[in-house]
Amino acid sequence: MPPARDAMAHRGDDDEVCPVCKSSRYLNPDMRFLINPECYHKMCESCVDRIFSSGPANCPVAGCHKTLRKAKFRKQTFEDINVEREVDIRRRVMHILNRREEEFDSKRNYDDFLEQREEIIANLVHGTDVAKTESDLQRYASENMRSIRANQALEAQEASSFREQQTHEQELARLRREAVRQEYENERREILAGREDVLSRLAAGRPGDAAAIAREGQKVLLKKSSARRSEEDRIRQKQAALRNSDVKKSGQGAFGAADRADDSGASSLIKGLKKIKTPEPEKPYDPFMGLVPNKRDYYTLHDYYPNSYLDPVRQDTRMLAGGYDLQEYYSRTLMEAFAGLGCFIDEEVSKRDVISTSDISEPVATKGAALAAVSSAGTPDASS
Amino acid sequence: MIEDDVYRTSSQFRLWSFTEASLKSQRATTNSVASDRVRAALRRAQEARRSANSSAAGTPAPGGGDADTRAADEKPIDCLTPEEEQQVVNYYCEQIIQLGEAYKPALSTQVRSTAIQYLRRFYLTNSPMTYHPKQIMPCVVFLATKTDNYYLSLASFADGVPGSTPEEIIAPEFIVMQSLRFTFDVRHPFRGLEGGIMELRAIASGQGRPAPHFPAQTPTDLQRALQSIAPSPSPIPTPTLDDRISRAHHDTREILKSAAQLTDAYFLYTPSQIWLAALRVADRPLAEFYLDTKLGGPINQHQNRTQKENPLYALRTKLLVTLSNCAAMLQAYQPLSSDQDQMNTLRRIIGKKLYRCQNPERANLAGQKRIPAAAAAASTSAAGGGESGTTSESEMERLAKKRKLEQEQKGRDLFGASW
Repeated sequence: MPPARDAMAHRGDDDEVCPVCKSSRYLNPDMRFLINPECYHKMCESCVDRIFSSGPANCPVAGCHKTLRKAKFRKQTFEDINVEREVDIRRRVMHILNRREEEFDSKRNYDDFLEQREEIIANLVHGTDVAKTESDLQRYASENMRSIRANQALEAQEASSFREQQTHEQELARLRREAVRQEYENERREILAGREDVLSRLAAGRPGDAAAIAREGQKVLLKKSSARRSEEDRIRQKQAALRNSDVKKSGQGAFGAADRADDSGASSLIKGLKKIKTPEPEKPYDPFMGLVPNKRDYYTLHDYYPNSYLDPVRQDTRMLAGGYDLQEYYSRTLMEAFAGLGCFIDEEVSKRDVISTSDISEPVATKGAALAAVSSAGTPDASS
Repeated sequence: MIEDDVYRTSSQFRLWSFTEASLKSQRATTNSVASDRVRAALRRAQEARRSANSSAAGTPAPGGGDADTRAADEKPIDCLTPEEEQQVVNYYCEQIIQLGEAYKPALSTQVRSTAIQYLRRFYLTNSPMTYHPKQIMPCVVFLATKTDNYYLSLASFADGVPGSTPEEIIAPEFIVMQSLRFTFDVRHPFRGLEGGIMELRAIASGQGRPAPHFPAQTPTDLQRALQSIAPSPSPIPTPTLDDRISRAHHDTREILKSAAQLTDAYFLYTPSQIWLAALRVADRPLAEFYLDTKLGGPINQHQNRTQKENPLYALRTKLLVTLSNCAAMLQAYQPLSSDQDQMNTLRRIIGKKLYRCQNPERANLAGQKRIPAAAAAASTSAAGGGESGTTSESEMERLAKKRKLEQEQKGRDLFGASW
């Protein structure tokens, strides 16, 4: 800590006295006070060293019997010890109740969650129902270990990517500044060079050319500067595009990693969480969509059917060489023997016609292309 | 039943199956639309001719000749009725069978049957008055050779069709395909019949397998049951069971080749119903036995009600009605050529009436063979021009404009609405 700030922070505390050793800042200007979040009793650094160096010990403040450890001692951030305590509690609770908005069904549920969290914090701060609140919190923490862990990881990731982005932006800004400065430098140098050139030409030329040379020099300068300007524009646009794409990329990174841990024990503490759908386990592939491949309703296929006409085929190498399979013949003929035996066209077609006429306003249109084909000679309206 | 679902996905079921009523109304619609068009077209042609004549003569020609033609013109044009149209189509279906015989080797039954079904499907939505069957018939046969993998080059195919050139044969091909809605799959009952006979033979030789719904059947039970069925009603004696099955097979095949093709059976029934009905016509006890092995036999009075609510039993009841309807249709079929009187009327219809009410604007198909959309306008207007001598310029323009409009309409529902 820079001493200036330290001095600022402790201005007016000259008469501050360590409650343990009673030494005052007046005598010891380098004195620093530490607190322990167990009891928030303030004591000076030398007291902490003295009392807790040899391991945990009781708080030296009279009436406070908390056991403190040296490692837990830290500097006080806020002057008001109550604020310090509240911030600590808040940090701890937020660490556990770290649900994110996208985990909730609706905005309303998320808001309820936020309110509930504030309530818990207030309870802990003001000491109402501390035991119950604490136990709730502990239970929630143990039940939702995984989602808490995942959300923490997410937060850390977001924070780091945010930092990264910031440094990146700073770097870009620096580069831009650099470029602009360079630019300015170049321009200045060119103007000077141009002027010198004109001067030298004026010195070398004849008196009659003076006006022309001066005009020419002016023109060259203008041209250069306008060319530079357009170049600058181009670069600027490019950089802007680059910046945009960077932002987009980092944004995607932050959200792409938002994979959600499954918390099987649905927390009773928090309401309105989105149901986590566990994908159904993939069923074994069924190429026939539930159809049993060789199931038939009218016949049972046999390996052999006596047939004087087909029997020679079984021995005929000329047939078999080409891959001819009598089984195929059997299954096809039997299938065709019964395909549609139970289709009663009377009923099914009339039913279908009723459906199709209700679907299609003009029944004749369903009669198809044939009428349309006929209609190429007749009157156009005759098809209706 | 899985097999039925397989059939339900076929285009034959989806697009080419009708109830009797819808089939009739479809034909009536086609006929009335075509008649209107024929009348309009003939009137246009006459007007064109008259205007050509009068312009050629320079003055409105007085005298008898003109009055005669006018009197003839005034006479209402006598169009075919739907029944006559159907007779004409049937006649040409029989012609397809004969045409198939003319080839060496003869076209297979499969090709012929497919061609017949194409022709029947084509004339569901087109009228013989619009497209003369004489032009369409060779085309559908040629198309059938292609869709049934029976390769014939166009030239060698054209040799078999008397008095036609290859160009004439394929001229209406696109129109035909369009009218078939580009569904070339025809499900025939022939292969199904082979399957059924194959299984019957297996049962007869004691190698039958139980049907999936009756796992209790044993090969010997089935064999015994088959041996004990009523004797065949056929007059020709069949000493052994195998002979009887062969006989039934042959007879059924004959029915499927003729009656099933030349009636509306394909539109009204499914192929397996058709072959079972045909088998029922050929050998009723055999067909009923076979069906009972699959769906269970008739139910006696004393059997309980739960048996009656069995879905298989309900299916069997419905199926028996359907089969008897189909069998009746197949049995009622008489070849046209068997009835001399009918044949004469038909010749008169085709020769005179159809000639007179042929749509003149559709007479020449050769010009619009491959790219009908683009060529239709040109060719038909050219045909019209050739017919009436000189068509006036405004008439040509009017026709072209109208065609363009119709092409646009045609483009909109080329395949009809999807269902």
